[in-house]
Amino acid sequence: MSAIELEDLTKVYATGVTAVDRLSLDVAPGEFVVLVGPSGCGKTTALRMVAGLESITSGTVRLADRVVNAVSPRQRNVAMVFQNYALYPHLTVAENIGFALANKGVPKTDRDRRVREAATVLGLSDLLGRKPRQLSGGQRQRVAMGRAIVREPAVFLMDEPLSSLDAKLRVQMRSEVLRVHKAIGAATLYVTHDQVEAMTMGDRIAVLSDGVLQQYGRPRELYDQPANLFVAQFIGSPEMNVYQAAVDVSGDLVLGSQRIPLGSLDPGLAPYAGRPVIVGVRPEDLALGPASAGLPSGSGTLAADIRVVESLGSELHAVFSIDAAVAGTRELAAAAGEAADSGQLDLAYNGVARLDGRAMIRSGERVAFRVDPSRLHFFDPATGAAITRETSAASSGVAVPSRGIAGAVG
Amino acid sequence: MTGQVLTPQAPPTGAAPAPSRRERRRLARLAEQEREIPVELYGLRRGTVTLLTMLAFLFAIFTLIPIAWLLINSTKTQANIFETFGFWFARPFNFFHTFSLLFQNVDGYGTYIQWLGNTALYAVLGGVGATALSAFAGYGLARFRFRGSRVAFYVIIAGLLVPITALTIPLYLTYAKAHLINSIWGMVLPSMISPIGVYLMRTYADISVPRDLIDAARIDGAGELRIFFRIALPLMMPGVLTVLLISIVAVWNNYFLPLLIFNINTKYPLTVGLGLWSDRAVNSGNAELYPLLVMGGLVTIIPLIALFLILQRYWRGGMLLGSIAN
Repeated sequence: MSAIELEDLTKVYATGVTAVDRLSLDVAPGEFVVLVGPSGCGKTTALRMVAGLESITSGTVRLADRVVNAVSPRQRNVAMVFQNYALYPHLTVAENIGFALANKGVPKTDRDRRVREAATVLGLSDLLGRKPRQLSGGQRQRVAMGRAIVREPAVFLMDEPLSSLDAKLRVQMRSEVLRVHKAIGAATLYVTHDQVEAMTMGDRIAVLSDGVLQQYGRPRELYDQPANLFVAQFIGSPEMNVYQAAVDVSGDLVLGSQRIPLGSLDPGLAPYAGRPVIVGVRPEDLALGPASAGLPSGSGTLAADIRVVESLGSELHAVFSIDAAVAGTRELAAAAGEAADSGQLDLAYNGVARLDGRAMIRSGERVAFRVDPSRLHFFDPATGAAITRETSAASSGVAVPSRGIAGAVG
Repeated sequence: MTGQVLTPQAPPTGAAPAPSRRERRRLARLAEQEREIPVELYGLRRGTVTLLTMLAFLFAIFTLIPIAWLLINSTKTQANIFETFGFWFARPFNFFHTFSLLFQNVDGYGTYIQWLGNTALYAVLGGVGATALSAFAGYGLARFRFRGSRVAFYVIIAGLLVPITALTIPLYLTYAKAHLINSIWGMVLPSMISPIGVYLMRTYADISVPRDLIDAARIDGAGELRIFFRIALPLMMPGVLTVLLISIVAVWNNYFLPLLIFNINTKYPLTVGLGLWSDRAVNSGNAELYPLLVMGGLVTIIPLIALFLILQRYWRGGMLLGSIAN
């Protein structure tokens, strides 16, 4: 049984815009699933369709194996936390939390007890008599959660519940939300545009782009085996460096003017011998120092000009430039284009390495990064789909069926 | 230091006495003043500000002069109203005598106090009815999409533009057929139709009742009526009171409709009753009615001023504070 099951869920607006395109996914009872994607990708629309606040163009929503397409939100027994909290401003905290119970006709004494219990879970016990305007942002957020959990719903929906909080409070509330989720155990669908929230909170993550599901899986899976270029760049911060490259017939990777031996040519990559590919490498997979230290033999090196060094204390981000063209359409590509346009070619950069906080490195230096070929990600230049490699799957210790080119999963 | 006594400041202990209510109000006023920009910073010259202030002052006098005249002349006898200076008092002081006449049936033309009662009844029924209908309709038009909702709204707006005089004959004929002549319902039912009220409520509901709040209430299992009464209506309250005031004043001052439908003076509202008196005084030589007209005019406006002062407390901003995160 699934707590929530979406099947080919589609939303086409009257304007002809397709907000959600054949979205299928399931949430097991008690599971915490994060729906993540850039703004405008349709994640909130999908959530609102589950809640019953948005009509469904085609496809089905099942809650506890019951098709609820035509069921009003009132009768779906879902609770929802809104992005802007949507507290009832003229009601006290207690009345806000107890509103759903009052609607169900729960007797006053019973209602008071349950409101107090929910308030205790959320640390709101002293604030029950206050109005929303007398609360801080974090407290309001808690009231919004309280309003949802007091009903003991089967399904819990959250629409960017933390996005209005400041950065520090947001981190705090992340663990708070998870704690509450564990306490009530309801299947949760959580929408966010923040991949860090997704990675830290989700049992599973569904990545959405332009209304289409890109990949659905555990955080580690998405990080280590992104199904396509979009997921590869969306998950992880700083984002993955991606370049246009080629695999030559001898099995070396040609990246600008540099070559990185890939060792024995992987079966997945074999069809690409002598053809262009897109190669991706995560910032933390670039290492400084002599080739002997810690990395498997056969590691290649990548020479790069350091442009900027950003120290975060515990780690260091080295912004560099190599003579290869950036692939993908995300921030780095935009930044590279901007620098080129403004004529500041010496400031143009096209990659970031994440190094130890005490690494001795200065801007203007030319360094050689060591690269473990098994940590490289390859994507088809035409489709952006990941090229699945036996070696990378084996080395990361996860069994993945060999599929050649992995399309969108789900 | 020349003999000045320095009062030692109380040490900042944790339990400072809570400021009194008056003190809190004073502080709030001061804080309010702090936020106001001094006139110099408006970018206007002193002279301009003075000139505009003078103009505003003159306009205020111009507006208040009739009320002052009413107040002064309500104390005079019939003769003095015509023979003494209009903006000063004259003996004998006749206020209470004239006032007592408001409670009598003068010359068989009707009793003022009865007209006042009629007016109050029509105004309350019509005003409350108009406000209720406007609130429902405005909320409905602002927050629900249904077939024809836009057309309906435009028709209502168009209703604003039709002067009631244009409808005299059809209205009278319809009323005659519906037996609404000399019926209070003939007065009250049309008064409950307020296109301007619907328009104001729609606009107000649109800005004061966020869609997310309605969605949240739906998910919380509230029915649409409960959402309206428990969530939307409290948030629309300042707008509701505005419409209530406008509607009551409109009925209170309505002359044309009651003139059309009432032909017995016990049903008259103040407007028509005073009109009758005025007509008698001017055309039938009943000059003894002039002091009554003045007094009647004065008493007529007092309830409206009182109503405005009472409702004023409820116009406050910030209804939505704390509900919606930026």
